Amino acid sequence: MARWGMVIDMDKCVGCQACTIACWEENNIPHGSPEDHKRWREIFWNKVITVSEGRYPTVSIEFISMPCMHCDQPPCVTVCPAKATYRREDGIVMQDFRRCIGCRYCIVACPYWARNFNYKTQAEEEYDRPDPPPDRVSRGPWPFPHRIRGVVEKCTFCFHRIDQGIREGKKIGVDVVPACVEACPTKARAFGDLDDPDSKVSRLLASRTSIRLREDMGTHPKTFYLPR
Amino acid sequence: MELTYAPIQGKSRGYRTMLAILIALVVVLITSFLVAYLMGQQVWGINNEVIWGQLITLDIYFIGLSAGAIIISSLSYVFKREEYKPIGRIAVFMGLLLMIGAMVCVLVDLGRPEKFWRLFMYFYLNNMTSLFAINGILYLGYILLMLLYLWLILENRIRLAAIIGTIDVIWAIMVHTGTGAIFGLIANREILFTPIKPFEFLTAALTSGTSLLILVSIVTFKFTKRAFNKGLVISLGKLLSYIVILLLVLVFFDKLTHMYFPSREGTVFLFSGPYWWLFWVFQIGMGIIIPLVILFHPRLGKTVKGVVIAAASVVIGVLGERAALVIPGTAYPQPLYPGQIEGIWGAAGVFPMTPWETLLSLGIISLVALLFVLGLKYLELLPAAPSAEAVAVPQPEPSPPVTDASTKETGEKLD
Repeated sequence: MARWGMVIDMDKCVGCQACTIACWEENNIPHGSPEDHKRWREIFWNKVITVSEGRYPTVSIEFISMPCMHCDQPPCVTVCPAKATYRREDGIVMQDFRRCIGCRYCIVACPYWARNFNYKTQAEEEYDRPDPPPDRVSRGPWPFPHRIRGVVEKCTFCFHRIDQGIREGKKIGVDVVPACVEACPTKARAFGDLDDPDSKVSRLLASRTSIRLREDMGTHPKTFYLPR
Repeated sequence: MELTYAPIQGKSRGYRTMLAILIALVVVLITSFLVAYLMGQQVWGINNEVIWGQLITLDIYFIGLSAGAIIISSLSYVFKREEYKPIGRIAVFMGLLLMIGAMVCVLVDLGRPEKFWRLFMYFYLNNMTSLFAINGILYLGYILLMLLYLWLILENRIRLAAIIGTIDVIWAIMVHTGTGAIFGLIANREILFTPIKPFEFLTAALTSGTSLLILVSIVTFKFTKRAFNKGLVISLGKLLSYIVILLLVLVFFDKLTHMYFPSREGTVFLFSGPYWWLFWVFQIGMGIIIPLVILFHPRLGKTVKGVVIAAASVVIGVLGERAALVIPGTAYPQPLYPGQIEGIWGAAGVFPMTPWETLLSLGIISLVALLFVLGLKYLELLPAAPSAEAVAVPQPEPSPPVTDASTKETGEKLD
């Protein structure tokens, strides 16, 4: 069984937010208003945080694109009372909207703010996009055409793409990648099997020093960063 | 002296007005719940950073009050202290109602309240490593035990009630330490994370439970024209002062653990951030300092008035303590990466008080009060007033009359 992971090169990332937008498009994530953003209610499955160190002119800026870390020891799975969030055998931490009761304990327990609560029923027109993504047909049914509110949502590493790709015998990480990896204009992100020594992610991790966020939490994230 | 108990008649204007107000507020509760259910949780003050709001604060507060009331009730039914007899039944009844109120809080706080039954699918559909699921067992068992306990007391089966009461007290301790563990075991939130949080919760529960019991019994006894024993209030005040000292010690060591080592940003945020007043004014000031000053005051601590003021201060202070846990505990931004995180992910969370959430909280408090007021009428909770006094104080105006029919003083002692 594969162990899916992501490597994000902080040297290549320009902070363009293309990954965030691609994720919104792919997973049909409800749009938030500027008001929602200000009150921190917008749903981000992938977010790009900006971290500054020092003051102008001696300042360094890091862009850190944060999908769900898909921890090997996920605290959210430990605390979820309803088995709504679980770790698949391939390491993807999933969220089942049908089981989620909306207690929001996982949001408190997540050290990365990877989880978002859905506060309102989205207006229908926000879903009905006139232009479906170009290869929608090839990807089969959209995984989340309809949303319920009052549940917690999170990044799934585009499991629907991976599952479809495996069914069709495609190479995961080369032919089939999550939407954020596909959209990255600088190719800062790589996706693949961490257990496969020939995969792109394994080679990238072997080539340079890598870090993971908040390693002191002991969560063993599967999203790695290559620092500048 | 064996005490007899009697319900109040509940025919006075005051009683009816109170009933009407409380029923109106319960209608407000239902309305505001429906609004939140139909419009989504956007009508509340919560956001993805401060994800638990007023309802969870009220929930843990109620659980604490309940556990405290049950533990105090054990003084009369388990430890057989005669002087606490008059308030024994009220304590158990309050414990039950407050726990029901807490469960209503959790229920309406869920994003999908209709799926609450999943919490009770023990070992089958729920994940038993979750403290919510474990507490589900504890809460359900606690409510059932309290129902049994109350029934036994009302049936006057004191010997069996002592056994069930003992189990219930142990269970109440488990319930409240379990509730503390919900917060205390979350390692990524510095303000919440501490191994002594369960014990802190338990102690705060005892202080607030005792205080609410003092207040409720004094108000009820006054309102129904029953005489209460001054010594009882003073002794409860003395008990309260000891528990408050214990609470102070626990809070001190909890915060010291985090302040001593340099990784203290979260605690500094609690002490001096935007929510400093929740900690200093409510938790420390009203919950600990004011009651200690009053209760240890040589003159004030020996008066009913002093004890009542101290108790009222603790009741408000512990509510503030719960809020100081839930709101700053999650409002402190998580250190995702070393350096200054820009934008909303590095900013401290804000929790606005929104009307629907506040009305919902008020409604739940009124629901508990309504059940209590109804219980006074339909259950034999209050000690029947001594006949001599009832005769001596005739009531011309339609105030709640004292039922003196069943009153008798047998003059014999239990055991």
